[in-house]
Amino acid sequence: MKPGAIIPATAASLTSLTVTMAVMCYLACLAIGALIIVDRAVSSWTSGLAREMTVQVRVVRDADITTEVEKARGIVAAFPGILEADVLDESEGAKLLEPWLGTRSLEGLPVPRLIRVVSDIDHPPDVAALESELSQVKGARLDTHQKWEAELTRMARALSAVSYAILLLISISAVAIVVFATRAVLQANRHIVDLLHLVGARDSYIARQIDGRFLRTGLLSGFIGVGLGLFTFLLLGLLGGGSESGVAAASRGLLFSAPSIAIWSYGFLFAVPIAATLICLITARVTLMRRLGVIT
Amino acid sequence: MLRLENVGLRYGDGPEILRDVSFAVHTGDFYFLTGPSGAGKSSLLKLLFLALRPTRGTLRIFGEDVSNLSHGKLPPIRRRIGVVFQEFRLLDHLSTYDNVALPLRVAGKSEASYRRDVMDLLDWVGLAEKSSDLPPVLSGGEKQRAAIARAVIAKPQLLLADEPTGNVDPVLAKRLLHLFLELNRLGTTMLIATHDKGLVRQAERPVLHLEQGALNLQ
Repeated sequence: MKPGAIIPATAASLTSLTVTMAVMCYLACLAIGALIIVDRAVSSWTSGLAREMTVQVRVVRDADITTEVEKARGIVAAFPGILEADVLDESEGAKLLEPWLGTRSLEGLPVPRLIRVVSDIDHPPDVAALESELSQVKGARLDTHQKWEAELTRMARALSAVSYAILLLISISAVAIVVFATRAVLQANRHIVDLLHLVGARDSYIARQIDGRFLRTGLLSGFIGVGLGLFTFLLLGLLGGGSESGVAAASRGLLFSAPSIAIWSYGFLFAVPIAATLICLITARVTLMRRLGVIT
Repeated sequence: MLRLENVGLRYGDGPEILRDVSFAVHTGDFYFLTGPSGAGKSSLLKLLFLALRPTRGTLRIFGEDVSNLSHGKLPPIRRRIGVVFQEFRLLDHLSTYDNVALPLRVAGKSEASYRRDVMDLLDWVGLAEKSSDLPPVLSGGEKQRAAIARAVIAKPQLLLADEPTGNVDPVLAKRLLHLFLELNRLGTTMLIATHDKGLVRQAERPVLHLEQGALNLQ
């Protein structure tokens, strides 16, 4: 004959806690997903920016711009650590200015010429030395995109900080509601707890009769939350069309990237049920032991 | 085994329920505790089964001063005390069998190790056929017997009972008295709070009379 549960599950049901914790876990999944997407996007942008540089050659009086451009291209192409140095022809330069100047002819305007430079990411060039050599070219200036990279990094850090703050707030809220639920369970079963004390039960024994329910609640709500989170990312990926950028592509990237990358995404997302279970179990146990200690 | 010295008890800022109560119970003793309703019998028993602490005086149980004992040190002492509560305090969601076995379960014993003892005791108190029934379907007398069985199942050194025959007929009351006397003969110290003068007369044991918070040996 299997002995019945000393603390009945029917008194003070944990359904509300399960639902609330599932919502918390879902929000945590979205925050973690956003964190991963931002991190990947910034890595991709900054690696692109780190690989590419631009040499701008302005029109200077008493200098033939075509000669200066060719001179600059020669210096850059021969410089160690540079893989490619392509001069953008005038029509390409005009295309870049279209958002500001429209499609009208730029003939007669002192439009600078651009050289797209691709550096070797594994053996990067000495930028200061390159700048020094380019000083021989009239009107030439090297743009390493460091300013943009710094801006992007700053923005990424801000977004990451917001995501971490959201995760922290979710964790604090989860702890608070588990404390509340534990007290409710204890209060609803107070007559049983009193009797157990009087027949010689230790606090740890009584806590064990209760905290198993919180362990199951944590696991269940964690998996519901992560399941809903994955479904949301899938939905965003499918509904966002086939574009190569934007939230839809990022969501697809989160779910369907190469196994070596995906293992980290799924690892972080599936840390949510583990964290939820630990929060439920540890918070319930600590609350129970503290409350039982003051019940005679 | 039990020693009270000038014990006083009050609830909050209210009047003293017990005043300067002093008595000693030795191993193997059998006492009845009598007194009118409201005299403080239940409060005195609550002190003895460690549900309350005295507001003054010294209370020693099994040689240990429990007046200011820390919460963590109470369970080993409580396991040596069996209690029959006036209101039974059976757990309605557990079967009669599980209710009776509760002290053994709490002590960490396996179901296989106590099953026979519990069934034998249920048989002795006439509840063998009700072992699977839940308390709400038991009669008052059956609940009383289940509560007594739970109090004695772990063979406590001290048995405290609050009106243990209050809900049973005279025949069963006599049978329960024989159980208490038998337990006492086997070494269990007994203190039974009762209004049942017939029970006290039959047992021919000393009586502690509590009246207006003061205790006298009769």
